[in-house]
Amino acid sequence: MTRRAPRAGLRASIIVAFALGALGLSTILAVGTYFSARHLLVDQRERTALRQAYTDAALVRDSLLDAGVAVSDVLGSVTPPAGAVIYVRRDGEWYSSSLDSAGPDATAAVQPVVSSGSAGVTWTDVTDPHAVVVGIPLPAVDAEYYEVAVAEELDRTLWTLALALAVSAALTTVAGGALGLAASRRVLAPLADVTQAAVRVSGGDMSTRLTSTDDPDLVALVGAFNNMVDALRSRIEHDARFAADVSHELRTPVTTLTTSLSLLTSSTGLSPAAAHAVRLMDGELDRFRRTLEDLLELGRLDSNAVEDPATLVGARTLVTQSLLGSRRPLDLLEADATGADPLVLVNRPQILRALTNLYRNADLHGGGLTGVSVVEHEVHVDLVVEDRGPGVPPEDRRRIFDRFARAGGEKSGTGSGLGLSIVEQSVHRSSGDVWCADRPGGGAVFVVRLPKVAQA
Amino acid sequence: MECMPTRVLVLEDDHGLRSSLRLVLEDDGYAVVEAADAETALHAVSNSPVDLMLVDLMLGGMDGFSFIQRVRPGTEAPIVVVSARDGAPDVVAALEAGADDYVTKPFDVDELKARLKALLRRPALAQTERTQTDDVVVLDRHNGPLVFDRGAALLTRGQTEIHLTHTEFRLLSAFVDNAGRVLNRSALLEHVWDTGYFGDERIVDVHVRRLRKKLEIEPSSPHTLVTVRGLGYRLDLQ
Repeated sequence: MTRRAPRAGLRASIIVAFALGALGLSTILAVGTYFSARHLLVDQRERTALRQAYTDAALVRDSLLDAGVAVSDVLGSVTPPAGAVIYVRRDGEWYSSSLDSAGPDATAAVQPVVSSGSAGVTWTDVTDPHAVVVGIPLPAVDAEYYEVAVAEELDRTLWTLALALAVSAALTTVAGGALGLAASRRVLAPLADVTQAAVRVSGGDMSTRLTSTDDPDLVALVGAFNNMVDALRSRIEHDARFAADVSHELRTPVTTLTTSLSLLTSSTGLSPAAAHAVRLMDGELDRFRRTLEDLLELGRLDSNAVEDPATLVGARTLVTQSLLGSRRPLDLLEADATGADPLVLVNRPQILRALTNLYRNADLHGGGLTGVSVVEHEVHVDLVVEDRGPGVPPEDRRRIFDRFARAGGEKSGTGSGLGLSIVEQSVHRSSGDVWCADRPGGGAVFVVRLPKVAQA
Repeated sequence: MECMPTRVLVLEDDHGLRSSLRLVLEDDGYAVVEAADAETALHAVSNSPVDLMLVDLMLGGMDGFSFIQRVRPGTEAPIVVVSARDGAPDVVAALEAGADDYVTKPFDVDELKARLKALLRRPALAQTERTQTDDVVVLDRHNGPLVFDRGAALLTRGQTEIHLTHTEFRLLSAFVDNAGRVLNRSALLEHVWDTGYFGDERIVDVHVRRLRKKLEIEPSSPHTLVTVRGLGYRLDLQ
């Protein structure tokens, strides 16, 4: 199985592109500079060698013009330049200003030119380091003059130049990479803004907008993004409003039904069958009414409407009020010996509704509410609602807070299926959290955790 | 002597709901006056006073807010808004206009009946409390003086009589009974409205504001009915 290599990121691509560009450009410049300088230096060296050779050759020729003077004697009296060796060929014999005998090989390339009567310059690798070879015919004395001068200085200069240019190319490449990094930051900055804004939008903050800009390259992006968020917000609000609007329109007819039915339920003149039918209708109508109220509440929560300011209230007071409001005995609230009532800053109506929903959930699915306790921690307060039911399987404890979710394949027909979803959203609105757990000894506990307000 | 039934005006433009409310209220012993629009209701009330009004807000022609504003100066009868609108601005606007209570559709019929009884019980309750508490309390001896005669359900400043609605009477009675002590909104909701604990606490704020206009020389800087920030309200006898 082949695995595709991970694709480089945009930032890495920009940096690499800048670095490679800088490397290519600096390499071209370095190579060009090197060869230009080399050409110049070599040419200069050849001219210097030629000039020196002509001077020395003239001296040798003049000496050899004296009758009876041996070539070896003449060479012995001539001092060649440092690093240079003079060779003279006369009558097929080779004479050298030093003891080496490399003359024939070192000058082989230029010998044909000199033999034809012209001066010549060439390079040879026979020596180490290589050397410039100058050949000058001496027809007056029937001889050929050769001067072989090693180019050690030139080699050193060229090596130093090559090193300097290589270092420059490397530094230029690094600088190119740095420039690429800076450019990538500049290019990617708007993308980072878009990313952060998108994260905020996906987190539910529909007020997020990108700041308007004069940059002609970004105007279209900013405009399109902001329009997209506007459209998204409008769509979400529309969807949320739809359920609320439908529910709202049903309020008056449902009120008429409940009001009229209340007369029938209190009537004593009905046959047993009719009374039973009225009770069934009353039960279903009550469920329908609750579902309607739950849909309206969810619509309010979904539309993010903030109607009530947060209220500073005691946690035990909240539980007491919720028990009284739902007509339940106050002794369900477990006594606290300290008498403390830790303060929480919450949307009071929403939290009261959440607690009432939990009590109702305990009645419908948990075999009845067994107690509520307030547990104070260092930075938060837990409102713990307990029931005596079968508990909630671990795999369902997250899912039961979803809309219309029911635990353990329970048949529908009891609650609206929205109660716990309202609980979760309401508690989150007050910066709290809610979860379900096992109750020691059987049953379930629902814990509403609210941030505690420090008391002065 | 046969007791006259309590007359209730039902101002509701939905025929079905209006009829069902009539059936339920008549079954409970009330005499019901129906009106499908505000103009008819104003005419009916001016012809023959009623003891209680149930008012819908969304009406054709004049809306419920305007009706309450028009009818409130001429009557002390409790006004209960029955509306499908449950937004905070609607609740506050209705109370500011002069409503005493606010019930959202769909409501529980028994709860509605209980709230109507609580609103109507107040004057009678004042009479029973007459022997147990001070009948006459001087609220502000420096300005007027301002005197609350609980037995006569009368507030006077000097020689001027200041009318109190039933809710204002009940609210002032609660403050007089607890003069010098802070009453929080929840306690006031329980004592004055008998609505349990799910009542909107803004009902209290709006009615305290209205009561201040009658008690204070400068309602914007109250001295008699003061706000205790974060806790509630306190009546300070001057």
